[in-house]
Order: sequence, then structure tokens, then C-alpha cells
Amino acid sequence: MDINAALLKGKVLLLVVPSASYGELEVQVARELSGKNVCYVTLNKTHQAMREIFEKEGVDTHGFVFVDAISKTIRRVPDQTDGCYFASSPSALTEISILVSKCMRHGFRYLVFDSLTSLLVYQDRAPVARFISNIATQARASDSDALFYTLDIESQTSLIKECSMMVDAVVKV
Amino acid sequence: MAKTIMIVDDEPDNVTTVRAVLSKAGYKVLDAKNGDDCLRKLPKQNVDLVLMDIMMPGTPVREVVEKIKGTKIAYLSVVRLSEAEREELLKSKNIVDFIQKPFDIDDLAARVKKAVGD
Repeated sequence: MDINAALLKGKVLLLVVPSASYGELEVQVARELSGKNVCYVTLNKTHQAMREIFEKEGVDTHGFVFVDAISKTIRRVPDQTDGCYFASSPSALTEISILVSKCMRHGFRYLVFDSLTSLLVYQDRAPVARFISNIATQARASDSDALFYTLDIESQTSLIKECSMMVDAVVKV
Repeated sequence: MAKTIMIVDDEPDNVTTVRAVLSKAGYKVLDAKNGDDCLRKLPKQNVDLVLMDIMMPGTPVREVVEKIKGTKIAYLSVVRLSEAEREELLKSKNIVDFIQKPFDIDDLAARVKKAVGD
């Protein structure tokens, strides 16, 4: 996927991804963002797992700062390490939003949100939609390009519909 | 006597699939819909292995696992860890395996068999 071409459609994109190619897309996008300043919110992999996957694929992650909402759910970790802020769980929407805001103040060029699908495990659609609106607003205010991933599955249809009003474009991958 | 496995997962479809695999393999299968439900049910049952999802509503899994004493636990989750994190996790006292979803049915049965010491 040519992420720069997709970003011509707008600064805040919702990428709707088939389950089968989700992992592949994560890597493809990361390759395109290799070496750039990226705030990467991970909701289904630990940041160490993400770095491991990306680095195996030759992605330069030195400019990546992660907001990791998974590590704390399975083990004790500090609130922050070099290159990562930890949220207590993917259900902690306010906490994640504050951490994203902290990151964005450092002037990240890109925000990747991976993925909205994980949020619906914990929360109803309405609070998730409000949260996405808040994150999209933060990205616009920071003049960053934002990519939200969501899986193309039936249970996500309503959320995708609702989110399409908050993003500049919905891109079916 | 058949060994008892408790599946802890908030997705009914996952529970149905895992239950079918394990029942066919001869295990008695119980379920709990999240960590809190697991903690309520576990003391009332003689469970040989808990198969624990990670991404569930309610009390974070780390806190649930810390409260489980004397029962083996295997994670069964879509959550991805790095190799180093996985190795570290398996050093914990009663964590015996980390099974990645999506799983292979034969692999799941074999790993449960190994975990319960059949």
C-alpha cells in the first residue's frame, strides 16, 4: 500500500483491513514510515513484539515512540521507558488519550492507531467513537497524519460507519 | 478420571471451538466469561489447567493470574509478545504455556496434553 498516495485523500485516514492481510499491512505501512517520527499506539501486541516484527522486516524504528496498552495487562512494567509509554489496558481510553496527547506535543509527523478493533472488546461503540473523535482532533491540531486501522469484519460495520464522519477518508485496503 | 480444563474467554465462539476440541480429546471442560468469573468459579472446582485469554473486560489478566494459586495456567490469546517477553512470562510460577491465536486444533490438543501431564 502506498501510504503517501493514500494520505493525499486527507490527513486522518481509517484503513479498513481484511483480517487475512492485517499483519502484512502493518509491516507495509511501517516500512513506508521507516526512519520517520511516528507515535504508534498498539492495542494487541506489546511494543517489544512490534519492534521485533518491524526490525525483522528491516524497518528503522528509532523514530517510533509507542503507546503500549498491552504490556501492563500481563506483567508489571513502569509507566514509561525509553521509546514507550504504557497504558494500563486497552479499556483505559482516557489514559491512552492523555498519553497520545503527551506524544503529540513532541511533534510526531505520524500517528498510527493499531487497532480500533481491539477497543470494542472492552467498550461499547459510543465511547469508542467519542475517543476516536478526540484522537483525530489531537492529530489535526498537531498537524500530524493519522492512520487508524480497523478489521473489515461484520461486527465493526457500525463503528466504521460512525468513524467515517470523523476521518477525512475511509480507505478499504 | 478425566482432567478438567477451564476456558476463560469473553468470546462465546472461541469458547465453543476450544470446548469442542478439548471435549473430543476426553477432557472435562468448564468455562468462565472473564477473569473475575474465573476467580469466582475456580475455588469451587478441581481444575487441572486454566486456558486464559488476555484481552477481556474486567480485572486485568495480570491481577487475575496473581490471585490464582496452585492451578496451572496457559495463555490462549491473539495478543503478540516478543520472544524475550514470552520466555520471561513462562518463568512465572504457574504459567506453563502461551498459545497463540489463531491456533491449530491438533497443536492446541497436544499442548494442553503436555500442560496437564497426560
